[in-house]
Amino acid sequence: MFAIARSELIQIFRNRLVLVTGLIIPVAISAYFVYQHELFADQASLGYIAAVVVFTVMAFGLYATSVTTLASRRQNLFLKRLRSTAAGDADILTGLILPVTVIALVQVVAILAVFGLVTTAPAEVLLLAVAILATLAMMVGLALATAGLTNSPEHAQVTTLPISLLVIAVASWVGIAGTEDLTVLKRALPGGSATELMVDAWNGGVPLADSLPLLAPTLAWVVVAISLASRMFRWEPRR
Amino acid sequence: MPASPVIEVERLNVTYGDFAAVRDLSFQVERGELYALLGTNGAGKTSTLEVVEGHRSATSGTVRVFGESPQDRRAVRPRTGIMLQESGFSPDLTVRESVGLIGALSGRQDDVDRVLGVAGLTHKAGTRVAQLSGGEKRRLDFATAVYGGPELVILDEPTTGLDIQSRDALWAAVDRLRDEGSTIVLTTHYLEEAQQRADRIGLMHQGTLRQEGTVVELTRTLPSVISFGLPAGAPEPPIDISRANGVFHVETFGLQEDLYRLLGWAHDNGVALQELQAGPTRLDDVFRAINRD
Repeated sequence: MFAIARSELIQIFRNRLVLVTGLIIPVAISAYFVYQHELFADQASLGYIAAVVVFTVMAFGLYATSVTTLASRRQNLFLKRLRSTAAGDADILTGLILPVTVIALVQVVAILAVFGLVTTAPAEVLLLAVAILATLAMMVGLALATAGLTNSPEHAQVTTLPISLLVIAVASWVGIAGTEDLTVLKRALPGGSATELMVDAWNGGVPLADSLPLLAPTLAWVVVAISLASRMFRWEPRR
Repeated sequence: MPASPVIEVERLNVTYGDFAAVRDLSFQVERGELYALLGTNGAGKTSTLEVVEGHRSATSGTVRVFGESPQDRRAVRPRTGIMLQESGFSPDLTVRESVGLIGALSGRQDDVDRVLGVAGLTHKAGTRVAQLSGGEKRRLDFATAVYGGPELVILDEPTTGLDIQSRDALWAAVDRLRDEGSTIVLTTHYLEEAQQRADRIGLMHQGTLRQEGTVVELTRTLPSVISFGLPAGAPEPPIDISRANGVFHVETFGLQEDLYRLLGWAHDNGVALQELQAGPTRLDDVFRAINRD
């Protein structure tokens, strides 16, 4: 697993396209949100900025990059090559996804740390961490599922758009409009409950007992994403 | 007690929808032998190999490698090196990194530099895979297959795209592996390679194994051919001959005897045979005969 992860890390830093889409774009967008935090806080809250930063990094840095990587590795039969070794499927997938996942997590932690220093620290760090980790797991699952529908790295530019835009749109809708109306719908959408958790965790003022039930739909989306991944992921190109 | 076969295939069937790629196929590969699986495109070789490699599930039938399911990677792969038909390397990794990665995952121990030397890739160690020629990629594939000297090496069209020098080097490396006791399974479109090197050959056609045996066993099923031309006005020799485009053909299971009779007749009658050719049946002939069925 670590041998695969190491080789993936080498490839990320040798591939300018992946570097730009996976590292630079999410950081640039997040930096803009942090820089303009007063403007966005007026329209919503600091918690909204935290949530939209997390979803931007997860959508572009983790999800889109993972789909592109997996489609590319399948297209050039690298996945088949790895399956010709003694490595198990779980080890192979973990090794392939691990570098992108760790980079995305480091980006989120670093950006939120700066954001916390520039503004105020989150009220419930543990709850925020759980929401971020659940979002990360959901996006990894969705990446594996989407990779099953993606024939090539070029095709990934199209197939990743719906989910990338959807989760950022949901985060913005829930973060700006709140969940007082259309509560069930907003919480049922992918990333909806996770956004509400992040907003609550950053802003504070909501009893923990009121926030904890939001973990159920958040984790349900993790289960749905992993279930979709196990059904849709393909190891070899279609013939 | 005899050693158990390295590969056991029993009544294997592989279907894709309504299409039966492999039908009721059975064969065994014994320890230490070089077994060549030959057939035309679409004969079912690749589907068979993919099941043996564990890349595909059998629709029905049983396949065992070292007595285990080939899909039990942890049990089988440390003992098996696989040279795939298509490359499957990451273009952004160097040759050394590629061999190191696949070697590290193989479950075997070896020295990357030694393996690069075996495959003739030492001078390309720092080159990215994207910059390799087709032949160099085949050699890289071979390097990963023989990393750690596996007990079983599966070579799927190993010499396609290789120049003659690289082919010779590859076969020399295979010979060394065999000297160390490795079992080799080979598919190739170069029949002369199979004829020269295989201990046993399985000939597949339309998903079934039509013939199996040593080169001698396979070729003796077809007659040898003597061909020659006759000068104008010469009498016909007293043996069964056929004629096509002015060339006479003698099909015989007694090559030496009939050739002796023909030459004796020509000598006695003062006939100079033109463009005389005589030779044993080749694997190509058996192959063509099967594909005519």
